[in-house]
Amino acid sequence: MNKSSAETARRRRFDQVVAVFHADMYRYAAWLCRDKAIAEDVVQEAMLRAWKSLDALRDDAAAKQWLLTIVRRENARYFERRRLETVDIDNLTASQAALLAEGPDEELNDLRESIFELDDDYREPLVLQVLMGYSTTEIGEMMGLKQGAVLTRLHRARLKLKENVAQEDRL
Amino acid sequence: MNCEEYRHRIAADPSFDGGAGHLSGCQACQAFRNEVLLLDDKIARAMQIDVPTLRLPELPAIDADNVVPLAARRPRARPAWFALAATVLLAAVVGVRMFGVGVTYESLADEVLAHLDHEPASLRPSTIPVSDKQLASAVPANVARLDHDAGLITYARSCEINGRTVPHLVIQGEHGPITILLMPEEAIAEAVSLDGENTHGVILPVGDGSIAIIGAREEKLERVEKSVLNSVMWST
Repeated sequence: MNKSSAETARRRRFDQVVAVFHADMYRYAAWLCRDKAIAEDVVQEAMLRAWKSLDALRDDAAAKQWLLTIVRRENARYFERRRLETVDIDNLTASQAALLAEGPDEELNDLRESIFELDDDYREPLVLQVLMGYSTTEIGEMMGLKQGAVLTRLHRARLKLKENVAQEDRL
Repeated sequence: MNCEEYRHRIAADPSFDGGAGHLSGCQACQAFRNEVLLLDDKIARAMQIDVPTLRLPELPAIDADNVVPLAARRPRARPAWFALAATVLLAAVVGVRMFGVGVTYESLADEVLAHLDHEPASLRPSTIPVSDKQLASAVPANVARLDHDAGLITYARSCEINGRTVPHLVIQGEHGPITILLMPEEAIAEAVSLDGENTHGVILPVGDGSIAIIGAREEKLERVEKSVLNSVMWST
């Protein structure tokens, strides 16, 4: 394969991978940082980094996890660069509030708010499990946690959400 | 396994299928499990936020001397996502269309298979039926009428296939969830077989539209096909 066709093939491979997993990258970033505008920035940076290190992805079967890991690191870098204040649910910026944009289903709106309010440590494994379809073992690998710790966090996350749903039902 | 252990496991991982002995004799844990499964379905829906159009950043040139030719990669490592997400053939030929349009698929069959990969939450085994409200929202009366003979519907959502919003339903088969996509405006001349990585199915012509039915490879779909065809009637 000559140099030009290798470059073309590389670009085509990148386009395919990103097109297939862009939605997952964005949703993961949005639930990590809880801010739609920041999520877009994080995904842009993640795509740039993925482009530069595409040749490190040896097996396309691992593309999704590889991209989400890059998103995770870029999100961490973003917050290292900017010392952000704690999110206050009653005083959200427009971009934070956009994540909670209300749909017609009030129950879902309330639940989205409860997910938003979960601690990062609980929200992230829940997103990886429920939205991205990863097993607890895979989540442990991605987050650098033992499986027991992942199970505990997921258990607590669901109990918290279950409590909030029950509380909303009582109101 | 006692109640506390079982509840810890099921709340940590709703797909946990251990503890069957305990579960069969404990109504309280059965109720707890059902609550968790119902909650999980709602969590999945709450997390499905809208995604902005894909816009690539300006990509710097890569030193061509350091580009690894694709032939050097594992040529037989056929990617799982590639098989499930089907062949994004047009994207492979002309590149991905960006700035306003998503991936272009070679065929309706490819798009249907690719769609399953993007909603893993829909493929979780469940015994909890969706609410009538949710079902009515996913299958509006002006699109189709659906009898309850179709089976235990555990997932109902409106999804986009080929640029059109269509009802996406999941019923529970003998070997796991079975996906049903009602596509009243996708006319096809004859039945199309679907062949995914671990799944198989068919798109059946129904009146002026079509219905896709996809299950696990071991699933016998003939009975489901008959049941679905008897249960669905287009409204237009």
